[in-house]
Formats: sequence, structure tokens, C-alpha cells
Amino acid sequence: MLRDTLTIAAELDALAAISAFVRAGLEHAGFDERGSWQVQLAVDEAATNIIQHAYPATSPGSIDVSWWFDGATFSVELRDTGQPFDPATVPRPRIDAPLEERDGGGLGLYLIDQLMDTVAFTREAPGVNVVRMARRRPIRAPAVRQFVLHGRLDARHSTAALAPVRAALDDGARAVLLDFGDVSFVSSSGLRDLIVLLRRVRAAGGELRLCALQPLVAEVFALTGFVQLFPIHPTAADGLRAFGGPAREA
Amino acid sequence: METTHLEITHRSFNRTDLLELRGRLDAMHAPQLRQRIEALFDQGRSRIVLDLAELEYVSSPGLRVLIEARKRARDRRLPDLEAGDLRLARLPLRIKDVFDLTGFTNLFQIYDDVVDAIGSF
Repeated sequence: MLRDTLTIAAELDALAAISAFVRAGLEHAGFDERGSWQVQLAVDEAATNIIQHAYPATSPGSIDVSWWFDGATFSVELRDTGQPFDPATVPRPRIDAPLEERDGGGLGLYLIDQLMDTVAFTREAPGVNVVRMARRRPIRAPAVRQFVLHGRLDARHSTAALAPVRAALDDGARAVLLDFGDVSFVSSSGLRDLIVLLRRVRAAGGELRLCALQPLVAEVFALTGFVQLFPIHPTAADGLRAFGGPAREA
Repeated sequence: METTHLEITHRSFNRTDLLELRGRLDAMHAPQLRQRIEALFDQGRSRIVLDLAELEYVSSPGLRVLIEARKRARDRRLPDLEAGDLRLARLPLRIKDVFDLTGFTNLFQIYDDVVDAIGSF
């Protein structure tokens, strides 16, 4: 079983380090970008709670953060020796209330509940608070949007040819496969448009993959170094299989 | 390695102020944003657009700052008798996910384009 532990001073500047520590574990466990940041956010909220409320400013303490992965479920545990915490005392936010009636309280616990499959707050003798939470690794790959491109991706055609892909990204698509089987030519304009798409997909935590490049097009990708930027698969089926899995060649 | 900081870039326009956020809006950095917005209020500026395109991360203390800032901006009456407001532009999908989970999508005017957000005032 994969596992790791970090002990860190319970101060606000530990939050980024805790996120990085948990993110490394989630990468080992093969979580996709979206699942990974969701778990990171839940852990961050729990750590924020401890840092802000468990220890008085006059006697700072530390947090032990541990994660483990059994092949299906990623678990995280945070331990502190500060004030006990009872989540039942925290009001649940009214998510559908108008602005005037919202004060932003209770959002941290609410997010943990929403983002994790299980969460439990316990107090272990002597004086140790434990919050343990777990999230199953998504079994299904994300819904892949597949686009078959045609003809020439050049200054004249590439913007229009890629318009449906941009529209899908606007709609929230995160996993995009571009089928180049019928693309005969890619110019520098086409390559530029592809880079713009790639940045957008990555910024959203998604994946963009290409497949079925004709030999001349594959040569353009090789000569320009674009093979380093894009995961490229021999067939559409290979490309589809690669989404969301732990083995990512990007 | 993702960033561990929050960078805030300020641009002032005739009627509006634009703050571009980059990095992490977590418990560590939420006060930094609150202070920047307070400073604008102190200068009598309360038509504010936040460009979130480069925001990598937001957690509940950051969300709280956004709620408080919008409420305060709308309570402020400008010399032209219009109310102030805090509007948002260019939410990355992971930030939008958090907004959807917490009901924030309905609490703010959100624009896909910074120019549209500034022009909305």
C-alpha cells in the first residue's frame, strides 16, 4: 500500500505545502486533475480549520497529515493536539439563499462533505483530534468528446475547423480527443490554434489527446517538437483508452 | 509545482477598477485580497472587476472575502448615485466547480470576457 506522512507547523503558510504533499500522493494513486484538486481542496479546508481554530495564537502546535491508497480508495488523515472540534456546532450554509442572507460561514465543512465520499471527526485519547476522509478513485474515465477533423488545418481553415472544439470546452468538456485521420496538412497557424486549445484544456484541468495522424502530419509534429506537447495515439481507440488513467504519457 | 502565492495586479479605468488574481486564494492569502479591495473602497472606488483567469485555487476563506466584498460594494453609493458592485470575469473550470458546489454561481454577475465585465458598469 502506498502511504506517506508529513508533520508541519500549524500555520497558514503550511497550506500550500500540505496541498503539494497530498497532490503528490494523488498522482501516485492515478487520480485525474479534477479528482486531485477536489481532494486537495477538502484537505485544505480541514487543515485551515485546524490552523485557525485548534491552537491558540499563544501556543502554536503542529499537524500530522497522512495519506494512503489501497488501490481503490485514497484516504487522508489529519491529527492535531489542539482544542476539540465538534462539526455539529457548525451551521450548514444555505446554498440557495440570496446574497444578502449569506455570510460565507460553514462553507469549509460543507465542501469537505461534498467533495469526499466519507469524513469522520473523532477525538482519540489523550487529547488528539483526528479527521479522516476518503475518496474512491473514479473508475470511469471522464466523458470524452471526440472530434474528427477534415482537410487542411491552415490559416484559412483551422479556426473554423476547431470552433466546435472550443464550443465543447465552453460547455465544460474536459477530455477531448482530436482525430486527425482525415487531416492532410497542418500549417504553423494550425499548430498555433492547437496550442491555444491545449492551454485552455490544461487550465481547466483536462486532457487533450490527438490520434491517427497521417505520416506527413506526424512529420510536422515531430519536426516542430509538438510531439513533446501533445499525447499522440496511433488510433482513436488507443486515445480513448488513455483518458483518465494513471499511465499518462503527456 | 504550482504556485504558493497570490499575486494581485491592479488596473484603474475611468469608472472601474480591475484586479487580476493569480495563484492561490486560500486562508493564507484571502486577507491580502480583502485589503486590496478595502483600499479601493477607501479611495471611493467601488466598481470592481476581478479577473480570475489565472486563479489556480480558491477555498472557503477566499469565498467569504468575495461575498463580503460584493455586499460592501453594493452598499456603497457613488457620487453619480449608482451603487457599486463587485463582478467577476473568466472563471477557470475548477473555480467554476467550486462556485457551482457552493451556490456562488447565482450570487455574482460572471462574465466570460474582461472587457464585457468592465463595460457592464
